[in-house]
Amino acid sequence: MRSAVKEAHFGHTTLPDEQAQALRKAVKFEWITVGFLAISTTIVFLVLGNSQVMKAAWIEDLLSFLPPISFLVAVHFIKRPPSIRHPYGYHRATGIAHLVAAVALSVMGAYLILDSGLGLLKAEHPTIGAVTLFGQTFWLGWLMMAAMALTAVPPVYLGLVKMKLARSLHDKVLYADADMNKADWMTAAAAGVGVAGIGMGLWWADAVAALIISVSILRDGIKNLRSAVGALADARAMTYDDADTHPLTGDIDRYLSGLPWVSEARSRTRDEGHVFHIESFVVPKKKAATLQQLEDAREGCIELDWKVQDMVIVPVAQLPDEFLPGPTSGGEED
Amino acid sequence: MFKHRPACIAVMAILLLMLSACSHYPADPDKTLEKVTDGTIRVGVTENQKWVQLEDGTEPQGIEPDLLRDFASQLNADVEWHQGSEHELVQDLKHDELDVVIGGIAGNTPWTTHAGLSRPYVETKDERGTTVQHVMLVPLGENAFLLRLDKFLQAQEVRP
Repeated sequence: MRSAVKEAHFGHTTLPDEQAQALRKAVKFEWITVGFLAISTTIVFLVLGNSQVMKAAWIEDLLSFLPPISFLVAVHFIKRPPSIRHPYGYHRATGIAHLVAAVALSVMGAYLILDSGLGLLKAEHPTIGAVTLFGQTFWLGWLMMAAMALTAVPPVYLGLVKMKLARSLHDKVLYADADMNKADWMTAAAAGVGVAGIGMGLWWADAVAALIISVSILRDGIKNLRSAVGALADARAMTYDDADTHPLTGDIDRYLSGLPWVSEARSRTRDEGHVFHIESFVVPKKKAATLQQLEDAREGCIELDWKVQDMVIVPVAQLPDEFLPGPTSGGEED
Repeated sequence: MFKHRPACIAVMAILLLMLSACSHYPADPDKTLEKVTDGTIRVGVTENQKWVQLEDGTEPQGIEPDLLRDFASQLNADVEWHQGSEHELVQDLKHDELDVVIGGIAGNTPWTTHAGLSRPYVETKDERGTTVQHVMLVPLGENAFLLRLDKFLQAQEVRP
């Protein structure tokens, strides 16, 4: 790790220290995740055996590579400043990465449901025999449970760290990846429980445990998928976890409306991944605004939040309804 | 992290359920090991060179029938021999009419979706020089019985 805080950029936005640090930390943790996954996929592959859940846990581990890799690729691109070919910058790389991560999560959930559901329907009895290690012959199930216990712990920690970073960076890829880590440790736990159940002579324990977990994974996947597609399709900006409308649009409208020369102001905001592109329409009181006033207003908005990156203020005689549907600005409608 | 409380509770419940029934581990869903111990092992045999030799009027001979006789005596069990093709025997295994199927079966057998495999207990080379791992077939999911058989087979010095 480099200790000196270097300036970090998203396009031509210079990140505040908090976000710059969060970004560096996120990159570090995504590399740790990739390293951990490489180890855990190897371990699980070696003890796969005949258990459906173990197989599912392994395929799921493979899918878990997608979110961190897509994050790292996206980070590589979003640093670039806007160019002639990309006048809006490369921020959408984040949206694409989020989509990839969300698809990975959904596929994993759906696969697990099908796989364990079919296993239950066909009443497949998972067969786990012996393994000989260091001259000892013992039940392979013990080794599987040990492998699952080992691979379940790190994702808990990784997920918690990423969840925090996702909030600070407003990064939905990290958020989806934190969900993936949650899915990881939950399937690992379920697989361990499933194998333990097989040991009890409950052939269905394996499949039932996987089925329960897979429903919640699919739900997370679909939630992320909707959010990723929404952001790419220019839906209004939401918070990093899509729980709420992002407050920034409302803040900007209030700030602009509060300026002495402005009678009315409304904005529309696109989430470009980390930063927002904002078009604000202002109605000046005296039907005119000086360039200095407009420039100052823009500076003021940019100071509100680091995410205000690409902002256009348009003085208008009256607010254009066709661009600003809904009764109020921000998220207060409905 | 705690959004999935119902799922967690369900998993915990299963875990508790399992801990509460912890006498034999691992256990057989269909109690094969219990049934054969002090009882009868139903062995499916199909002829295959030195592994299983069948002749009318006598008990099956060869490496694998010998192993099975030793295994049965360990469990204080009698052996009941059933002859058939691999396909017939695997079907019987699936329908709980056999406990073990032998016949020089290799570890890469295509029967894995219908039968459980023991661990390879000996390796040989076929005429093409490919390594063949020798296994026995058991009913799917009868893990206690399989583990017992595996432990027995791993302890044997088999010289083909």
